[in-house]
Amino acid sequence: MSVTPLLKIEGLKASIDETEILKGIDLEILPGEVHAVMGRNGSGKSTTAHVLMGHPDYEVTNGNVKLDGEDLLEMESYERARAGVFLSFQYPHSVPGLQVGNFLRRSVSAINGEEAAKGPEFRNLLKEGMEQLGLDRSFLARYVNDGFSGGEKKRFEILQMMLIKPKLAILDETDSGLDIDGIRTVAQGVDAAIRGSNSGALIITHYNRILEHVKPDKIHVLIDGKIVKSGGPELANKLEERGYDWIEKEVMANE
Amino acid sequence: MSSPYLEHANTDKAAHIWRYTPWKRAHPTGTINEVPQSESPEISISLVDGTSVPDGITIEPATESDIERLGHELDFDHGTAAPKFIAAVAKKTMILKIENKIKVETPLIVTITTSGDICASRLLIDIGSQVEAEIITLIEGNANWTGILREGQYGSNSIINDVVTQITGNRLVRCDALSLCRDAQVKAGTVNASSSQAKIDIRHWLNEPGSSLKVNGSILSSNENHLDSHIEITHSGRQTHSRLEWHSACGGKSNTTGTGMLRIDAGAKGADAGQLFHNLLLSEKAKANSIPELEVLESEVVGCGHGTANGPIDEQQLFYLSTRGLDEEQARAALIAAFLNTPLSDMGSNLLHGWLVERIEKHLNLI
Repeated sequence: MSVTPLLKIEGLKASIDETEILKGIDLEILPGEVHAVMGRNGSGKSTTAHVLMGHPDYEVTNGNVKLDGEDLLEMESYERARAGVFLSFQYPHSVPGLQVGNFLRRSVSAINGEEAAKGPEFRNLLKEGMEQLGLDRSFLARYVNDGFSGGEKKRFEILQMMLIKPKLAILDETDSGLDIDGIRTVAQGVDAAIRGSNSGALIITHYNRILEHVKPDKIHVLIDGKIVKSGGPELANKLEERGYDWIEKEVMANE
Repeated sequence: MSSPYLEHANTDKAAHIWRYTPWKRAHPTGTINEVPQSESPEISISLVDGTSVPDGITIEPATESDIERLGHELDFDHGTAAPKFIAAVAKKTMILKIENKIKVETPLIVTITTSGDICASRLLIDIGSQVEAEIITLIEGNANWTGILREGQYGSNSIINDVVTQITGNRLVRCDALSLCRDAQVKAGTVNASSSQAKIDIRHWLNEPGSSLKVNGSILSSNENHLDSHIEITHSGRQTHSRLEWHSACGGKSNTTGTGMLRIDAGAKGADAGQLFHNLLLSEKAKANSIPELEVLESEVVGCGHGTANGPIDEQQLFYLSTRGLDEEQARAALIAAFLNTPLSDMGSNLLHGWLVERIEKHLNLI
């Protein structure tokens, strides 16, 4: 019996200001799988994340995206979030005046229902998550991402992911700007939210450091808006050792 | 009726203070030479938690000597018409007195309940030295036009959070003339939501050394509200400090104005002052004006700056919240609340903040 892919992207093309960034992406993630997308700056990694989340600046010009068989591209961003897509931002936006605790309750309530955002179960989950991520209780009274260090921002994104428990977590360079301990902590957070469940994750990264801690099932290499090579975890090591030039040459030779 | 007000009734329309809301418009009848009959509001004091008001805190009719001691000359330069008018129409003057060294753990509420067509009150504020207290003045009731004049002083070395709120109501003219004694630390907050028309003129004098003032405004205008606030801070004493942060969320067809004057007198060495007006424009038809001004007559100051920022809701913030499951309406409401909350949360303790948030939140759906 065939398994319905958690995420299925076919021929996805997207533009911003009439400049085509994604030039035909195909990708399939099965439940319980962790995939990684690697590539140089400007290859379209963050664009992929934003397009999947429905950022209004991007126009999808071709292709389709299904989450659990449902058409994701037909949904507004908040509907995608409620359907189970979570994006951990590379540069999360600050919202001065909105307290972290208040924001978390609103967000969990909007996505998982009012009951999920109150009571001892929520409080315990919050407490455990904060302890695991090394966030002090006073963190809840601070304003969302306002004055946070780079590491605090990333940990806060992961805390949200742990509370929301998405079907599909997209981590856009969550590892950049983190020290080794931070990466390990984030990796534990990803494992806790994804492994052993029917959820999946798409990790977008420059480096293979985070992939040493979150063992991906598949690695995809994105060059100029297209996935040009896919493989197992060994592909990340190869990229670390040899860079991207050899893949580019391979692509050119094939063309 | 003969009144000292009438000498000031004819205002200079070109003056900054009347440019956006002429006195004729703010005056209850529009006939500026008229001093109409007015009602007196009910004024009472209580504590937020419902417990008894401690000894040493009273509100009672003021005596002539109270007025002489605490009443300012009501010389508001070009803006003098408004405070003189309120003083003229108010039938009685009350005094809120907190005796020296009183410390109140729970916010004190001064409730001013208005009624009738025109309702006016003159309230003297007499805060003793070394007092620590939070005061919420709540203007409520159904008068068509309300005039509130608050005058007085914060005693030396006192620590006071003084918030004035008008969350429901019709037309309002409010004038404050308050001075800070030596080393007084004051946070003066204004919360206004849904007044149909408000002309607010808040003036503080830092006459004595070491005094420190933070003025916070959290203004929510909607429908066809017309809200005009002028905030003036004068540094006369040495080593004085002030900051002004005024946030206005402007929706509907509202017209919101914030004008500021920071004045540093000659001799106010070591003064440190700054003001910032921030307008969040929530609709294409909402108008917002912010005009901060400086007048610095002393060269040895730590700093004196001003700024203004206007703009719509940040699209990136909106997207961030939508990725967290909030639909557009929920995300907008959260961002407006956050914008207003920044100065609101700086007005006082968590208890005071919670009290204010509870009362302002229900008005967010108006815009």
